[in-house]
Amino acid sequence: MRYLARRLMLYLVAAWASLTLAFIVPRLMPGDPATAMFARFHGKLSPEAIDRLRATFGFTDAPLWDQYVTYLGNVLTGDLGVSVSYFPARVSDVITTGLAWTLFLTGFAVVLAWAIGTTLGIAAAWRRGRWIDTVAPPLLLFIGAFPFFWLAMLLLFVFGFTLGWTPVRHAYASHLTPEASLGFAWSVITHAFLPAITIVVATIGGWMLDMRNTMVGVLGEDYITLAHAKGLAPRRVMFRYAARNALLPNLTSFGMALGFVLSGSLLTEIVFSYPGQGYLLIQAVRSLDYPLIQGLFLTITFAVLAANLFVDLIYVWLDPRARTRSVA
Amino acid sequence: MKAALAALRHDRRALVGLVILGGFVLIALIGPLLVGDPTAQLALPLSPPSWDHPFGTTGQGQDVLAQTIAGARTSLLIGFSVGLAQVAIGALVGTTAGYLGGWVDDVLSQVVNVFLIMPGLPLMVIIAAYLPTGSTTIALVLILTGWAWSARVIRAQTLALREKDFVLAARVSGEGGVRVIVCEIMPNMTSLLASATIGATVYAIGAEVALEFLGLGDVTHVSWGTNLYWAANDSALLTEAWWTFVPTGTCVALVGFALALVNGALDQLGNPRLRSETAFVAEARRHGVDLGVSTPVLRKANDA
Amino acid sequence: MRTVSIAVACLLLCACAPRRDTEPGVLLIEEKEQTASFIRNFNPLLEVGDVRWPATRSMYEPLLIYNGVTGAYVPWLATAYEFSDDHRRLRFDLRRGVRWSDGAPFTAKDVVFTFDLLRRFEALDLRGVWAFVSDARALDDYTVELTFRRVFIPGLYYLAQQPIVPAHVWSQVADPVAWTNPDPVATGPFTEVTHFETQAYQVDRNPYYWQLPDRPKVEAIRFLAFPSNDQASFALIRGEVDWAGSFVPAIDRIFVGRDRAHHHYWFPPIDGGVLLYANTTRAPYDDVRVRKALSLAIDRPLVVKVGMYGYTRPADATGLNDSYRRYRDDAAVAAGDWVGHDPARAARLLDEAGLTRGRGGIRRLPDGTPWRVAIQVPTGWSDWVRSTQVIVRNLRAVGIDAQLKTIDFNAWYEHVQQGEFGLSLGWAEPYPTPYGYYRAMMSSGTRKPVGEAAPENWHRFALPRADELLAQLEETTDPAVEHQLTAELQRLFVEHAPAIPLFPGPLWGAFNTSRFTGFPDEHDPYAPLSPNLNPQALMVLTRLVPR
Repeated sequence: MRYLARRLMLYLVAAWASLTLAFIVPRLMPGDPATAMFARFHGKLSPEAIDRLRATFGFTDAPLWDQYVTYLGNVLTGDLGVSVSYFPARVSDVITTGLAWTLFLTGFAVVLAWAIGTTLGIAAAWRRGRWIDTVAPPLLLFIGAFPFFWLAMLLLFVFGFTLGWTPVRHAYASHLTPEASLGFAWSVITHAFLPAITIVVATIGGWMLDMRNTMVGVLGEDYITLAHAKGLAPRRVMFRYAARNALLPNLTSFGMALGFVLSGSLLTEIVFSYPGQGYLLIQAVRSLDYPLIQGLFLTITFAVLAANLFVDLIYVWLDPRARTRSVA
Repeated sequence: MKAALAALRHDRRALVGLVILGGFVLIALIGPLLVGDPTAQLALPLSPPSWDHPFGTTGQGQDVLAQTIAGARTSLLIGFSVGLAQVAIGALVGTTAGYLGGWVDDVLSQVVNVFLIMPGLPLMVIIAAYLPTGSTTIALVLILTGWAWSARVIRAQTLALREKDFVLAARVSGEGGVRVIVCEIMPNMTSLLASATIGATVYAIGAEVALEFLGLGDVTHVSWGTNLYWAANDSALLTEAWWTFVPTGTCVALVGFALALVNGALDQLGNPRLRSETAFVAEARRHGVDLGVSTPVLRKANDA
Repeated sequence: MRTVSIAVACLLLCACAPRRDTEPGVLLIEEKEQTASFIRNFNPLLEVGDVRWPATRSMYEPLLIYNGVTGAYVPWLATAYEFSDDHRRLRFDLRRGVRWSDGAPFTAKDVVFTFDLLRRFEALDLRGVWAFVSDARALDDYTVELTFRRVFIPGLYYLAQQPIVPAHVWSQVADPVAWTNPDPVATGPFTEVTHFETQAYQVDRNPYYWQLPDRPKVEAIRFLAFPSNDQASFALIRGEVDWAGSFVPAIDRIFVGRDRAHHHYWFPPIDGGVLLYANTTRAPYDDVRVRKALSLAIDRPLVVKVGMYGYTRPADATGLNDSYRRYRDDAAVAAGDWVGHDPARAARLLDEAGLTRGRGGIRRLPDGTPWRVAIQVPTGWSDWVRSTQVIVRNLRAVGIDAQLKTIDFNAWYEHVQQGEFGLSLGWAEPYPTPYGYYRAMMSSGTRKPVGEAAPENWHRFALPRADELLAQLEETTDPAVEHQLTAELQRLFVEHAPAIPLFPGPLWGAFNTSRFTGFPDEHDPYAPLSPNLNPQALMVLTRLVPR
């Protein structure tokens, strides 16, 4: 329990740090959203209109501390302000268009990559010296060394456009409405397939190698030797004893990998026109849409924190030692 | 140190990695002198590979081979310098936190954890967008968002080494904290530091290419990332001009792969089980023996 | 067995999901490249935000539509217009029998209300009509009269094209500047939003449309979100879009080549123009010799070939594009000898202006400091970026230390509007007559000091003689006088080179005739092809016919 409490503290601090960073960075930069909007209105706003706009965007002449407190209050009630580039839509409205899809795609891809990579790692440890141990890891590492977006572009071009085997854009077929039906679910899966495969292929090498190395370490433990001595089948020893214990260290890096994959999925989304946060962020940055940038950064960070917390909960559930140990 | 070099020499994969890496470093150093101005608009845009232009031309009539070679210098330079800087900062923070312990450790650990958890690319994109474009900005942004990982790893190792006898002996004999860290602890972490530097370099090259692809670097400067930016800008896929982005992407992958191979060999140094296991596996294969599923700890006779 | 049944189930599912994207009667239009998800915003008065395509091109209609190809105003919600004898009052006769999409009748009350809304909320007055209009009044249910503060004939263009909104709906809206108008009530051909998702949306026919039952023959319009130019082009090539208006590289090979019978495009050079703007408030750009020298250094044919895939032609020294061709003065064009590629002469002019070569062959300013030139271009505008790469190399060939600087669009836009730049590529806003073009080029009416946002005349140049000519143009309706004044403006431009014209802007437009016919092109130029023009797209939308 102390372990969980410490992790929770960490996440709260990280959350606060992100909030503050998102507040400070736009204010350090020259210009403000109201000036940007003014330019877009071809200079036709009255001084009162400019002041009203500034207030809407949270840039007032109040002292910085007051602005900060107002900002924190607004965020906690879910008011993330008004977007500049999607004016007059609210930031929360713009963000909700993409958040669910990013989480779905990233989650789907990471779980898939982790599952496949870990299984391959176990297989590699089992069949050491065979091709799956000597050829597959380097090959997968090589493929994974290509930039995310490069792989995405290539896969899209070959399988989407040239061969026509998969859809080429969006999260579901454009004539469907999101609903709880098999047709919609299938459409979602076929559209997520190629983007997810990109992420899987790019990260699988790392998972495999990590799992293999951990397995090799675990296989040297005494209880494994005892299990063999008792006459248990090799397969059983492999999975129920070695793999289960090797999984735990892997799980901790799962959380960190989530953050990494979220970043990489940004590029994947752009290439596949997947309607997630990634593309929204790039556009927001390109238009210097401060309120939207703030909002997106916050949601991405909170998503990563939540995922890490979730992984920690699972870890505590899986590993009894974590409940009694006080230090991570 | 000697053990490290020996490990690298004997490991076939590491050798392959070093050869590839050496090749690229050579290209980066002397290549640009041999190919002339990569930005010269010499020929017909988007022409496929031919004798005149082995990698074809870009959407603006520039020679892709020249651009790939010229790009190597910038990208490798940024990659290595950022990698070193990240590990340097990480070592500073990590050793301080690990050695001093107490509230210093708590505070620094929190800072490290916060930086670890924040998603890198979005933060990088935001910061890079605000600062003036150029290699320095990219480098700064990468260092800022990437130092935390090596700090964590180095801190863990420092904690382990701190309790060793030779460190205690040094402290008892009156050596100051800094001296202990620099002269006693760090020399025993060389393989870890090397491994961390390589890991950081791989990350730096990949992230730099990504940022420049998004157009956040200086697009008039030739580097691997900007080559890919221009390929996308000139609609490489749409016009089916695969030669404009395949060479650069492959180079990035080769460098990353080579570094990963070398890293793998260095990893084995820190995990003797892995090292002896590789030797044992090779030996077993030579004799056609089936291995079973346990890991014996063996050494060859002439290993230290 | 289990795997087989799963596979069969999947196949069945695939078969069951019909591909409604190719439903007959539904026209697929490329809304705008570079948008990943659609926000439901149909406010026609607020184009600076993120407003959906149909708002001003299929929902809300104007009084008249200016057809840039024919040069005439097409009656739309107004059937006739007339200036009073002293040109201080403008009367519009409205069309009878027009109804809003909720059935209510369209009357002069709506027109007056719309203009009044622009007066009350300045942010909505994007055309700045209240600068020259003093009053808007309904003389009866179908006649509107606008009173001008001063004689300003070009004002017709702005007033005629203003989208009209219904008084009975918008009078209930507290803040029309922040209103997204999600369920529009309008007079246009397509007003019923039947399906709106972030990736795609569809707008069906207005059952009360005034041109029914003949037009429109199209039943609905549909839009897919494309986050990049390339994605939009891919869709066009594969026949997933019927009507598009974005830049496509090597279009003959990758688009037309795929289906010569049905894939067509038309890029007439009638859209604004692209110029190299030099900030004339900064030395040495205030010297006309320097501006002309820069122009002589540029290899325009190469710029057009490499930057624009040969889709347009080099500009002449008047800077006029082909939509102004009936105003072009041949004498002025002939006198413009500074738009050819003559690096030797450019070098001589620069030497004359005191910008001599120093160490390393790089030119210095007269006071000896090195002359560094950074040409600003928005990131992602690939054709501009490519063109500027060529220009940078051209300038370096005459000893100028030139560089390309790409900045994000909004930052770039702020810079040029506020005059925080040395050299930048830029567009010229298209107008119905050269009056608007030359006003933006050299009138003190558009010139603002550095630091104040200027929507036009970023290069901040003005000539008193130009002001005189423009003032006269504002008051005349005699075509002969118009031509004479315009000719003199052209000669003035050629003499003083306020900005450096590069090439006339091609108006992008591509279409696919396998499902719909009736698009304008060079064989049938009844209207501009581009779907991006508002309100001109209305003319094409109502003429298209499903096969």
